[in-house]
Formats: sequence, structure tokens, C-alpha cells
Amino acid sequence: MTIKKFQILILAILLFASFVYSQKQPDGLEIIKKVYNRETGNDQTAQLTMTLIDSRGNKRVRTIKQLLQNGKKVEKKIMFFVSPADVRNTSFMNWSYSKEGKSDDQWIYLPALKRVKRISSDSKSDYFMGSDFTYDDLGDRQPAADNHKFLKMEKIGNDECFVIESKPKEEDYMYSKTITWVIKDKWIGKKKEFYDEDGELLKILEVKDYKKINGYWIILHSEMKNVQKKHSTEMSLKDVKINTGITDRQFTERMMKRGI
Amino acid sequence: MGRAFIKRTIIGLIILLLPLSVIFAQSISFNGYVRNYTGFLLTGDNDYSIVQNTFNLNIEKSSNKVAFKVSPYINHYQNRDLEIGLRQAYLDVFFSSMDIRVGKQQIIWGKADGVFITDVISPKNLKEFLLPDFDEIRMGVTAVKVDYYMGNNTLEFVLVPLFTPTELPDRNSIWSPKMDFPVSPVFDYSKEEVSQSLKNSEVFLKFSVLSSALDFELMGGYMWDDDPTLHSTKTIDMSTMQVTSLNIIPQHHRLGLLGGSFSTTLGGFVLRGEGAYYFDKYFRSTERTLSEGVIPKDYIHYLIGLDFSIIDIKMSVQFIQQVVLGYNDFIYNNQFDNTMTVLARKDFLRETLALELFAYIGLNDGDSLVRLKATYKVSDGFDVLLGANIFSGISGKFGQHRDNDMLYVKLKYSF
Repeated sequence: MTIKKFQILILAILLFASFVYSQKQPDGLEIIKKVYNRETGNDQTAQLTMTLIDSRGNKRVRTIKQLLQNGKKVEKKIMFFVSPADVRNTSFMNWSYSKEGKSDDQWIYLPALKRVKRISSDSKSDYFMGSDFTYDDLGDRQPAADNHKFLKMEKIGNDECFVIESKPKEEDYMYSKTITWVIKDKWIGKKKEFYDEDGELLKILEVKDYKKINGYWIILHSEMKNVQKKHSTEMSLKDVKINTGITDRQFTERMMKRGI
Repeated sequence: MGRAFIKRTIIGLIILLLPLSVIFAQSISFNGYVRNYTGFLLTGDNDYSIVQNTFNLNIEKSSNKVAFKVSPYINHYQNRDLEIGLRQAYLDVFFSSMDIRVGKQQIIWGKADGVFITDVISPKNLKEFLLPDFDEIRMGVTAVKVDYYMGNNTLEFVLVPLFTPTELPDRNSIWSPKMDFPVSPVFDYSKEEVSQSLKNSEVFLKFSVLSSALDFELMGGYMWDDDPTLHSTKTIDMSTMQVTSLNIIPQHHRLGLLGGSFSTTLGGFVLRGEGAYYFDKYFRSTERTLSEGVIPKDYIHYLIGLDFSIIDIKMSVQFIQQVVLGYNDFIYNNQFDNTMTVLARKDFLRETLALELFAYIGLNDGDSLVRLKATYKVSDGFDVLLGANIFSGISGKFGQHRDNDMLYVKLKYSF
């Protein structure tokens, strides 16, 4: 075999290998879409406990009862604050729309004011009740808002995960990028790293427990750690009930005022 | 109120509540707060403007069909009798599309912050001007409230069979409004009380909508003016044309009003508006042909407000205007009275520390009240608040209190 023929053969092998590799390379956007569209039932009720832990290990606990309704065009959520005592009977309602570009509608009921007040949902980078979760971290960020790239496969515990890097399309977003470990076949984000505007690692979200309830995978326990400020927030769900037939009547001013 | 009576009342309450709390502790919710509120003036000898200890309890129970809430409170002062009262005490009955609430209750309408335009059902406690917390400024009224629901639309009817006027500061209080009279007046309160009869009831109706695009309320009411009009009779020395004696006769008048309010989002802004047209509100006048120095005029009160955020600071600005229609120069009030409010608030340390500034600015008189607050959550439910109330200007609603600048601290434990 001449050197020229040998070179052509190597080139052909490399081309074939890259073709095969590109055929098998998972699509980052498709994976994130599967996470976004993962079925969680038509409705859900649960008790959410949020534990804020500071850098010295001191804990503050918030208890919330929440109701969710997943409609085709709109997802409605209402949260009733149970404790601590100074926020008891406060409620928060969010209507989130599937239509691209349409902002969420949000209202808050403060028992001292005895009035339901509309608030702006534009402050997505605000932290929810002093926790390490921003409103955007808690909501479902639309897949089209970011450019997604598959990085590799990696195992976390027993879970085989796709590792996806997502970079925001908009400028001045609070994160320069996120990296998500998505459990294969379950489409749960098992772990997520958030990088600040300077590209430094800011927070790590880890899912500690998830369970199949009524045929749907539900995240029951997660932890968000701020690695720069050394504080964290744990979120756990209990008394989760799926598809109990929650109606639109639960997501009204009447229920916000009436409470749990 | 005698001390023996107060003692008996407290013992009676304890005897009543203790066994109840034991029997129903499993199902009835008890919550509330204990608070110390100490303030001193920044002028003169730094007199205490307030030293108050408060115990506030909420006793609640709710089921699918019925609920109740009772909120007793005790205010203790060093040199005054105990204040014991019920902020609210009501029963709820829930139906499929209707709720009925009967009893003493606070009813809040409208979209304004710190301004009362269509929010006219619960009268105000102004004993300490506009400084107390909002749930303490608005007093409960005994009322029947019926809400009928149609999706996110609500029709609300309120009947207030017993009239409750605004609670005004004592005449010798530092918060007593300054009034200019040509001679020292004699107050005659014989006509101030509105007799308690069904005929003297107040009625209100509101239709409200909460939707993605817009929230709005339309309302109407036939009520009594919570603030008494100061009728006056005087004697004039005809040789000098000087007033020699003056009788002031406070009197409440019937008042009708129609109004509405709205709020909507515009990008990152929340736009709010509220307005009301009052029919035949009484104003003081110097017109000589008026026998008691008062005249009824239609009157408009409205505001426009904007809520937004700048570098994580939550801001809110409101412009408020009051207009007397059919105005003449004899009327004491301005034809146009313009006020602004500004709110700025920022949270720090994972929402354990909050700094807030709220200012009323009187545009006619160039006066203002600036309220500064720093609230620190020592632990869940335990707050320490340091605040300052700074009045500026010479006259006007805020300027008249220019000697009442104060610093205060509130320690509050919620349970």
C-alpha cells in the first residue's frame, strides 16, 4: 500500500467515525425539552418544607401548602404560607403561560393588608423568600430561551445521566451558563450547576430523592448550595397527591383570601 | 373605665379562654404577637411619644362549610387605662358560589397604598395620625358581607347596620389636628352621634374582576362621612366686626359615592389607579350667607400609581389628587389638593434585614412625612424594627406636625 492510499484510508475511517459519532450524539435541546415536558399529572397538592441553612449551620424553616394545575395553555400554582408565624396566611398565586414571550401573572395576598395585590413577574432573578432558589430556578424555564449542547454521559450513583450545557440567548441573564445532569429515561434533572455572570460556579442543585407517584416521577427532596457564600436551601415535599381533580375554582382571589 | 372592672374583664376572659383552649386546642388555631413599641420625640426634652405594650391574639377555626375568627387585643400604657378590644370577631358560612361573613370585621377595598379613596368601609383609627400598622389603622365594623362568585369575578354586598366614626386624637394629643379659629371655640358634641337604627345603616356594593390582562373593581356606597363636619355658630360684635364667641358643632353627614380601581402589568411595571366621585360632601366655608359655616359640594378623589424595581430596590410612586367641584374661594379646602407618595424597599442578608423608606409629600403646602424603617429578623417570628418619622414643612397635613419628629423601636414576637 502506498503512502497516499494509506492516507486516504485513514481519512475515510476518520470521516466514517465522525459520521457514526454525530449520528449517536444526543441532541441537547431535545433532552432539555423532554425534561421540560415530563408529565407530572394534571394537578398536584403537597406540603413544601423549605429549610434555609446559613454558613454557620443555623436553620430557618418555612412551611408552605401548594396546589398546582397543569393546563394545556396555562399552569396555575397557589401557595399558602403556614409558618413561620409572621408570614402565616400569606398566599401567592402564579399563572404561567405556554405561549412563548407571555410573562407570568402573579398576585400576593398579605393578611395585614387584607388585599390581593398584583405584582410584576419580571424580577425572575429575585430570591424566593430569602432562599437560594430564584423565581426562575423554581419555574420551568422554556427550552427555547437557551442554546443547549450535549457534553457527555456520566453516572451519578446508579443513574446514567446526559450532561447538557445551556447558555442563555439573552444578554445580561443572571447565569452565564448552566450544566444539567439529566437521568436517562426518567428525564429528571438530577444535578445542575449554575455559573455567575463572570463564569464562576455559583450554585449547585442536587436532587436527593425522587419517587414514582401515580405513575409520574416526582422530585421529593432537593438541595441548592451557594458555593460562593456557603449557604444552602433544602426543599422537601410530603403528602404529595396527584390527579385529585383540582378545579379552576382553587386558583382565585377567593381562595387566596380564604387560605388553606 | 375603673381598674376593678378591667381586672374582672381580664380574669373573665382568661376563665373563658383557658378551658376553651384545652377543649379545642386540637382543632382551633391560636396565633398572634406580643410587641413593645417605644418612641420618643426629637424635639424639646425628648418626651416619649408612645410607650405601648401589646398582646394580640387570633383565634381561628375553619372547615369546608363554616369558619370563625376572633382577634382580641390588649394595649398597655404607663399612665393610661388598659385598652382591651376585639379587632375582629366574625363567623363565615361558605356555600358553593357564595360566602357570608357576619360580625365585626375589617373590610379593605381598592388598590391604593396608604391612601383611602374607595377604601371607606372600615373607619380609621387616627389617634396616632397615619403611623400605626395598616391592620391597626383600620378598625373593624359590625357588618354583613355577602360575596357571590362567578369564576374570577366577584359581586360583594356589605351592610353596616351600626355606624362607627373615625377615631380622632384626643384634643390634648400631639397628633390633634391644628385648627385656626379667630377665638377660642366651645365644642358642642350634642349632634355628633348618629343614632343606631336600621335607617342609619350604610350599604356598599362592589363588582371585581381578576384576570390575566387586568384586575379591576367598580363600587358604590351610601354611607356616613366617617369624619365629622365642623359646623359653627358665632357671635359678632357689630361695632368692630370681630367674632366674640364661637361654637363648634361636629356633625356626621350622609355621603354617596361611586368609584373604581384597577391594576395591570406593563412589562416590568405594575400600573394602578383608583378614583371615586363623592356626592354632597360637606366642607367648611366662610361664606356669610351660610348659617353654620358649611356647604355641600361634589368631590373627586383619585390616584395613579406605578410599582417597579431598580437594581433590586422595590419602588412604588403614587400621585393623588382631591378636587372640590363647584368651588368658591370661601371654602377652607384647596380646590385642588395634590399629594405624592414614594416607597423604596430593599432586602438584605437573605431577607433577614429590610430597609424601607415611605414618604408622603404634600405638593400644595410643600410639606412631607418621611418614614424610615430598618427591620431585622433576629430569628423566625422575632423582629426588631428601628424607625424614624420626620415631618417637614410649616403647614398642611404633615407640616402641622413638624414638632413631632420621632425615633422609635418595635420589638415583636409572632407566635
